[in-house]
Amino acid sequence: MRSTRPAQWVLPLALASALTMTACSNSSDNSKGGGLSGSGGGETYKIAFEGPLSGDNQQLGINEVNAAELAIKQANESGDLGFKLELLRADDQGDPAIAPTAAAQVLQDDAVLGVVGPSFSGATNAVATTYGDADMAIISPSATNDTLSQSNYPTFHRVVPPDGLEGVQLAEFLAGKGYKKVVVIDDLSDYGKGVADIVQGALEKAGVTVQRLGVDAKTTDYGATATTVAGAGADAVFYGGYDAQAGQLARALQTAGFDGDKYTGNGGKSSVFTEGAGDAGDGWYFSCGCSDANTAPAAKDFTAAYKAEFNADPSTYSPEAYDATNAMIEAIKTAAKDGTPTRKAVSDAVDKLDYKGITTQVKFDETGELAESSQVINLFQQEGGVIKILGDIQEQ
Amino acid sequence: MSDFMNYLILGVTRGSMYALIALGYTLVYGVLQLINFAHSEVFMSGAFGSFLVVHAVVGDGSSTSGVEAVLVLGLGLVSGALTGAVIAYVLERVAYRPLRKRGAPKLAFLISAIGASFLLSQLFGKLFNRLGNNRFPSYFNADRTLFHVFGARVTLLQVIIVVAALLLMLFLDRLVSGTKLGRGIRATAEDAPTAALMGVDIDRTISRTFIIGGALAGAAGFLFGTAFVFSNTMGFIPGIKAFAAAVLGGIGNIRGAMIGGLLLGIAENLIPTAPWTGTAWIGIQWTDVVAFVILILILVFRPTGILGERLGRAA
Repeated sequence: MRSTRPAQWVLPLALASALTMTACSNSSDNSKGGGLSGSGGGETYKIAFEGPLSGDNQQLGINEVNAAELAIKQANESGDLGFKLELLRADDQGDPAIAPTAAAQVLQDDAVLGVVGPSFSGATNAVATTYGDADMAIISPSATNDTLSQSNYPTFHRVVPPDGLEGVQLAEFLAGKGYKKVVVIDDLSDYGKGVADIVQGALEKAGVTVQRLGVDAKTTDYGATATTVAGAGADAVFYGGYDAQAGQLARALQTAGFDGDKYTGNGGKSSVFTEGAGDAGDGWYFSCGCSDANTAPAAKDFTAAYKAEFNADPSTYSPEAYDATNAMIEAIKTAAKDGTPTRKAVSDAVDKLDYKGITTQVKFDETGELAESSQVINLFQQEGGVIKILGDIQEQ
Repeated sequence: MSDFMNYLILGVTRGSMYALIALGYTLVYGVLQLINFAHSEVFMSGAFGSFLVVHAVVGDGSSTSGVEAVLVLGLGLVSGALTGAVIAYVLERVAYRPLRKRGAPKLAFLISAIGASFLLSQLFGKLFNRLGNNRFPSYFNADRTLFHVFGARVTLLQVIIVVAALLLMLFLDRLVSGTKLGRGIRATAEDAPTAALMGVDIDRTISRTFIIGGALAGAAGFLFGTAFVFSNTMGFIPGIKAFAAAVLGGIGNIRGAMIGGLLLGIAENLIPTAPWTGTAWIGIQWTDVVAFVILILILVFRPTGILGERLGRAA
């Protein structure tokens, strides 16, 4: 046994040094948005972003990391930090299996004081304990699975309402529309099944007949699904799942001639849906605990700055990531007042935050959820190929 | 009845695409006794290749007339087939032939296939932004109802897919049973060393087998992309299903692949949705389970597939 010990250490060491090198090269790539400009303070601290920056889910991560980069750049330029901030990008591809590697990369870097992310619920589940053990505060802009705040992750926070709330409010809205029968479809994923279960439960409680279907997210042919929906004689259909698949379902439903109302949750609301569905997506409703950066009055400056920086409109979860990053910056500022900030001090400061963001009031309860009064679910609808906000779902 | 017909039509449409892909698996297995697991990516690249051509010709497609649409369809099929053929040819040259020349064990081919499959999938993802749902421009009204069968609507696109697939299969059947190249393929499949002694150029025959299989898969990629959406990961599920269809019909057997593909498409649409009115007895979430239970059952009772593993014979 003894003779194998050195070998056991070599691999982790090599991996660790490789990771550190990746971290360094990553952060120097990002110096444009990081800390080189602005304030004259001495120390440099880092905020890490963990989310999908490559792979099939990269668009969501890019929406978020751009907003984080913008927030950090603005903070440095404001000149009142007393220190410099840099962004560390940790790519987890949204994959729970890769997230631990990304987290290790973040934790390796002593300058990192807080994490914006992870973007996805599965990835968050995989690393929240690791971050918690290191007293590293995490503020996710988009991980919405209910269980995350019920799992006693000590440093977990999120600036979006959980799926449960969204599902319940959407189902109440559907029940209020007077539908007799609704087809509820899920994509057999944690997120899709979770939100579909909640919608189904609330609908049945309201006396609406529900027909439940499940379609694996890898399916490429929604013909049979759409035929079933069209033949079910339903007034509406709800799809619990993600944007790319919802877009395919939208097209198949159009082909099958289904003329009822169509709904999906926050997972379906994105440009991926609108591009995939085309005109078949017009009329689809989306519920989302997010706001529309292009219309929300508080977000005007953010939208303009984002556009100037990245030559693109902020998209789904960009405003939330901006808020999460700014909240983290606030916490680091608070912690830095008493000398050199530590991860623990930042984490404590995050717990005590009361910061007015562009989407919501960032103030966490002890589970890491936003205070109930700041959890707003909005209803959106696609019109003419563009998703537009209709407003708070409870007021619709 | 109309619902039953609806599902049947969907099944025939999907099944004919499975059959086109399955032919590639079966042809290559016939000559090399090798499962080309990168074949699903050949199918995928056919969709992208034909998209580039179609998009360049019709733009967003709004101003295409009826006659033009027919031409564009033909162009899409041809460009998809060409892309598939080129990718399959390169695949054979780069991933398989060097191994064959060195007499590598069969397992090495499998690893090489998996590597090539990853490479192609990620390469197209990189080139096309990994969008999960690319679409062809709508240069014709794919949803137009052509006619009704027992109350079930048949759309223009469904007819195009089935007719195109049948024509391609007929063409392949003629090619393999009636031409010199086909004879070479059959001879190589039956006994490669003897065929070589008889003057068949084995390398060239294998290469052409890949090209034919790739062309069919590429054309299927075009049809599939037109019917649904296409992406760099689109090959996975249809690839697995088509492989299952090839085994179902009897791997190495060309007509077996056609029958296997159609049967699988129809079964996976009809069985889970029975009794075709109201709530289904198991529901469409069981589609994949049904497909593979059928495969297992048939293999238990007929281990060589429906038509049997008849290497080296066209039928």
